[in-house]
Amino acid sequence: MTYFTRKHLMWAGRAFASLTLLAVALWQPAAEAAVPGITGGTGGTATFSLVAQAVFISQPDGASVYSFGYGCAVAPAGYMPAKLGAGTSTIVNHCAIAQVPGPTLIVHEGDAVTVNLANLLPYGAPTTSIVFSGQQVTATGGVPGILVQDASAAAPVTYKFTASKPGTFEYHSGTRPELQVEMGLYGVLIVLPAQANVATCGAFVDNTTATHNGQPDYRLAASAYDHPQSCYDREYMFQLTEMDSNIHADVLTQVRACATTTCPEFVVKTDPYHPNYFLINGRSMPDDMDPSFAPQYPYQPYNGNPHMHPGETMLVREVAHGRIQHPLHIHGNHARILARDGNLLLSATDGTSFAGPLVFTYPTVSGQATDSLFGWTGKGLNWDIYNHANTVVLPGKSTLGNGDASPCYADANGSFTSASTPPAVPGVTANYGEWCLDHNRPIPITPPDPQIVANGLWYGGTPYLGVQKVYAGRPTFVSTPLPPGTSVQNPEAGYAFMWHSHDEREITTNDVFPGGMMMMLLIDPPTFVIDETL
Amino acid sequence: MARNKLFWTAMIALLGVSAALPAGAQSFRVQCPNGTVLHHSSDVNNPYERIVSTVDNNHQIVNTIVGPDAAHANKQIKCQQISGGDGYATMADGQQVYLFAFGPLSGIQNITAGLPGTVPAAEFNGWLNGAAAPFSGPTFAGDRSVANNAGIKEPELIMNNGVLAGNAPGPMMAIDEDDEFFLTLSNVGMIMRPDLFEQHTVHFHGYPNASSYFDGVPDASVAINIAGSFTYYYTAPDAGTYFWHCHITPPEHLQMGMEGQLYVRPRQNRLAQGASLYGALAAYTASPAGSQPVGYPDVSFPPEDCTKDLLCTTPLPPSNTATRLETAATVLYAYNDGDGSTRYDAGADYPIQMMGFDPNFHFIGMTFNPEPFADMKDKYFLLSGRGYPDTIGGDHGVPGPVTTVDSDGLRRLSQPQPTLIQIHKGGPTQRALLRISNLSVTEYHTLATVGIPMTVIAFHARLLRDMSGNNLYYNTNSITIGGGESLDVILDATNVPAGTYFLYTTNLDHLSNDAENFGGMMTEIQVL
Repeated sequence: MTYFTRKHLMWAGRAFASLTLLAVALWQPAAEAAVPGITGGTGGTATFSLVAQAVFISQPDGASVYSFGYGCAVAPAGYMPAKLGAGTSTIVNHCAIAQVPGPTLIVHEGDAVTVNLANLLPYGAPTTSIVFSGQQVTATGGVPGILVQDASAAAPVTYKFTASKPGTFEYHSGTRPELQVEMGLYGVLIVLPAQANVATCGAFVDNTTATHNGQPDYRLAASAYDHPQSCYDREYMFQLTEMDSNIHADVLTQVRACATTTCPEFVVKTDPYHPNYFLINGRSMPDDMDPSFAPQYPYQPYNGNPHMHPGETMLVREVAHGRIQHPLHIHGNHARILARDGNLLLSATDGTSFAGPLVFTYPTVSGQATDSLFGWTGKGLNWDIYNHANTVVLPGKSTLGNGDASPCYADANGSFTSASTPPAVPGVTANYGEWCLDHNRPIPITPPDPQIVANGLWYGGTPYLGVQKVYAGRPTFVSTPLPPGTSVQNPEAGYAFMWHSHDEREITTNDVFPGGMMMMLLIDPPTFVIDETL
Repeated sequence: MARNKLFWTAMIALLGVSAALPAGAQSFRVQCPNGTVLHHSSDVNNPYERIVSTVDNNHQIVNTIVGPDAAHANKQIKCQQISGGDGYATMADGQQVYLFAFGPLSGIQNITAGLPGTVPAAEFNGWLNGAAAPFSGPTFAGDRSVANNAGIKEPELIMNNGVLAGNAPGPMMAIDEDDEFFLTLSNVGMIMRPDLFEQHTVHFHGYPNASSYFDGVPDASVAINIAGSFTYYYTAPDAGTYFWHCHITPPEHLQMGMEGQLYVRPRQNRLAQGASLYGALAAYTASPAGSQPVGYPDVSFPPEDCTKDLLCTTPLPPSNTATRLETAATVLYAYNDGDGSTRYDAGADYPIQMMGFDPNFHFIGMTFNPEPFADMKDKYFLLSGRGYPDTIGGDHGVPGPVTTVDSDGLRRLSQPQPTLIQIHKGGPTQRALLRISNLSVTEYHTLATVGIPMTVIAFHARLLRDMSGNNLYYNTNSITIGGGESLDVILDATNVPAGTYFLYTTNLDHLSNDAENFGGMMTEIQVL
């Protein structure tokens, strides 16, 4: 199995769009994201046994960067979402021996959580620990540390807390954090809400056959919070960090210089700080768009490759562990901030209405976790992005436009949904998610001649959403088809929106553009099945 | 009309490109219809521009564009044309820096005056105040003729006026809610870098519900080659302070200067004097689905349902009696607030773009060396392309545009926008609106005031208001945003004595123009 991998970056020219076609030829489509994580048992308790140890992580410029990661000492009790499946991954039960970021710990509101931590780091890091942001933690065992109780090689530590409120919470090493967090000791705790919110969100079940809106269901819960308006259809998590590879090289040099068990503590200069790798979930573009648990990144299991349909609501869990802020710009639309560090932002007057701001760039404050809801409908564009106007079925011929003869019946909000009247026409696949006011409206400009433009790798070949069928004899502008044989990164011809750091120097990998903190959100055609199964 | 040397130099530079194109490929094409399906022209027999397609004898499709003339153009259609290319700018310490940059190819009269270059289709297409006004202006660079606002459509004039004519920031754009906006980008090539065959694009940053085709990301769409035009199409459903920039190799093209300002004015501005602001927003919000929305004049887009739509922009405020204070000639609003809380004196809105230039990177960008991204370090800290004291001045301290002598010895407009803020104590509201954006590619920036408080009314082009209608505005003396962020600030001079105040960065090392330990990201607020 070949993927769009590291060496292609070295061929990258001045423009991202000019990435070599060879790389594309080797690529094959796969979605595979969601928010994979491990669980700690059932019945109101959750137990995780973690270790901290050193691994090499892979970067798309070919570098193997010496890092520290949290991993599983023993196989975890389970994993979520169940629908992801075990896949063909070499990583048993969704947890590596050490990984960057650390395993995502998924618990339920009210769970009594136990986390055992063993220290298998090199002797230059005699102790390590975990700080659970936003939790009231008691510790047993270990040795005294500065922020929390530490784990030494001889004395593992046990942390206990009650997951008292739902949300997304970051965790990180509290021991020499300027070094150990830089080295990769960070992760996320997700607390799922106790309220089912069945009345507003519908029933939810986490199993291998679950479906939602007629599509496979990869959610962890029906809602992000106990709040009945926090329902969502898909969810993704993005952990943003940066690395200064000189620090990692210094640590590795000192590890290699000491062959005994009585090594001196690492003496590493962590300032001035010159980060040269900028990571989403431990990976740089384009590695981040490879599947989760892809075998070529055994210690960086999580990806950044969001997919959704028009009209769906996407929960975005955005977490910052690094020491500098990264303004993560989201193309496509605004997102509504729901909560910061598990604290819902609600109106001061009625106590129930959302009060978080609408943003087009996440501020990514160091150590902060932000939950937000994102959606996209194409509403208000004033042209039919599905190209229904060119849908004319000719006898004995193929169809024009996307071949989709679906009408658009507006629901109370103006979009075509299952709540519309009628919800569908017999024999016609409903084009749910469409903003009906724009139905059949032509594109208002004449696109340039396809000969004088450069096509992007994620360009579907036409201005429209979804694969278009062209009937050659019809005297109507339909599309600017890609040259024959061209392969694209989104064969379903979805709309691709770049989500990236707007400190633009951070969308590079060790001075090579493109790279770094960048990924593509795909708005897929309504009928396209988003398959995240491993 | 004499073709000058520059034109030929540019054309020779482009030969390599055009030779690679098959016969029949188009080049520059400027699109600005006088009527559309949404906004009909006043010519009832010819309401909108459309393509009439026929099949010729060779079974080839022949498309003909027919439409109304400029005299009948709909006022809610706005147009602008920009060049994508290169140029030079002058920093406040006198240093010239090389730019990859966008320049004006329409609205040049407005741009030169520091105003948005966006004009109605009639004016763009050569009709103004009931009379023909086709493009008049420079026929070649440096002929010192004064341009009007009409769009340049002839390829020769596009080259003559586009090559080396980039500005920092690029041409300002401003439209009104319910407008349609046709923005044509003509790629004139970067004559100082003949080794590069770079495309350019326009990304409308923060624009809601974008289509990826017009989103300007080259990877997700198409990008126009040198000697070609791409017309972007946007509607304007939501007021706010946005901005725009090139999305080709962003760390390079943005650092090199390819960015500009963009804002959308609210439909509330169109209410008649004395009208109820709350009543208008309430009526608009309650407009029945599927019919023409009411509440405001000339509405083209239906309201959102803020009880259901989590991304709703404008929840209805608590019931109030605020009315349209004055006419649109004297008082304007930043958003459809429904309570008058975003009012400001007409003419006292100041788009301010925080930028940074790394002179080392710009030198490398002019030459042919590998670019250091990780070590990028800005040394010039700019407000709308200028460091203090140029922020309040112009050439040699004379208020107005900053011009720069380019590599061909001709002086061209380079930084048209001063950021001198003036608030008149005699004004109807004594309030100014700052539309602040950060397009630095390396750093977060803080801007602070002394003596005059800031009220932050909007963040990321959205009114700060919770979903039950309470304003979440806050008073502060400083704001901090990163690259790719914007916010809106009201300065209220009601309780401030006349005098000169400052808007400056409290990242104190950014108060410098490279080695000159003075200047940088600072401008003056004059309360008059």
